[in-house]
Amino acid sequence: MMLDPNEAQEGRANAGRNPEYRDAAGDGSQADRPLADREVPLHGMLPAEDGPALALNQWLDGDVTEADARRADSKQVELWNRIATETDRRKRMVTPAYVAANIMAALPEKRVEAQAATVTATATRTTVAADTERGLSMNMALAVGVGMFAIGLAVGKLVL
Amino acid sequence: MSSTIPWSAGVSVPYVRRYANAVKMTETATPLTEVDSDQDVISRVIAGDRDAFATLIGRYSDPLYRHALGMTGSPDVAEDILQTSFIKAYHHLTEVRGRFDAWLFRIVANGCKDWLKNIRRTHLSYDEDDQPSGFASPDEDLDRTELRTDLDYALAQLAPSLREAFIMKHVEGRSYEEMADLLGTTVGALKMRVHRAREALQALLEEKYA
Repeated sequence: MMLDPNEAQEGRANAGRNPEYRDAAGDGSQADRPLADREVPLHGMLPAEDGPALALNQWLDGDVTEADARRADSKQVELWNRIATETDRRKRMVTPAYVAANIMAALPEKRVEAQAATVTATATRTTVAADTERGLSMNMALAVGVGMFAIGLAVGKLVL
Repeated sequence: MSSTIPWSAGVSVPYVRRYANAVKMTETATPLTEVDSDQDVISRVIAGDRDAFATLIGRYSDPLYRHALGMTGSPDVAEDILQTSFIKAYHHLTEVRGRFDAWLFRIVANGCKDWLKNIRRTHLSYDEDDQPSGFASPDEDLDRTELRTDLDYALAQLAPSLREAFIMKHVEGRSYEEMADLLGTTVGALKMRVHRAREALQALLEEKYA
């Protein structure tokens, strides 16, 4: 087994394909990665996967025949054949028909792109805010005007 | 050689077609055919043909439903995740870059992972009512074997990343290359995950079944 520094994991899509990102990931990120991903088998050096286990996995991966796997461990081949009957059954499962109908029913008549909707909402908020501010300014100007007029009248009366 | 492997049959067939044939879908109002590419369909939806979206649901709902069901163990949750994911996809169609099926798969896979994180429990409920349904025939649904229950239980014991890899390989019948493409990781890492998942399942099931 050896550590695989080129490996990616969930949330780091394409990291393995981008040399820059891959190198940047370095050894520092090893601790954050699932243990299951940290070890990669080297061909011919498989201390954890002995002969029977290796043959079994190779058979399940389609690399060797069932006969080869049986020669290594016939008991496990029987087990995996039983499991295969169940996984084959699951492969034939279909989505309940009402799910598709529910999805279509939940879609709005007119498609609004989420980002566009956000922009529109923001624009609406901005417009409303601007209108409100403009309204406030007008009211304030009016109030100031009335106040000035009242002060003018009072001063005029005092002078006369 | 590979014909002797029970779950490798049909892997080479593009799964878009394979699943599209199996799906029972609501009729689309527009005359779209199976040969229309995803991009054609997406263009029509963006242009305002809402009903064309049903074609995309028909093409991809089954494999995604199987994935969600395998990951969550609950038909109700799987249906919810599927529904939410398709609706999200509908609203973000202009953001699709590259393969639509891969993009959609990531939405569903992330939905499953979020759900698993949120429930914060180490194993799923295995009440009778919570068992997977949706088998092709009622007979199959009734034929709930002990192995099925035990396999469900054993799968729930696996770490999500191992369960995901096993489901994709053995239930969805995907190749390692396709899995690597969808998950953004390498074939080597996925082989390791699948091998570890098998090892764990074997340990849990061999006493009773081997």
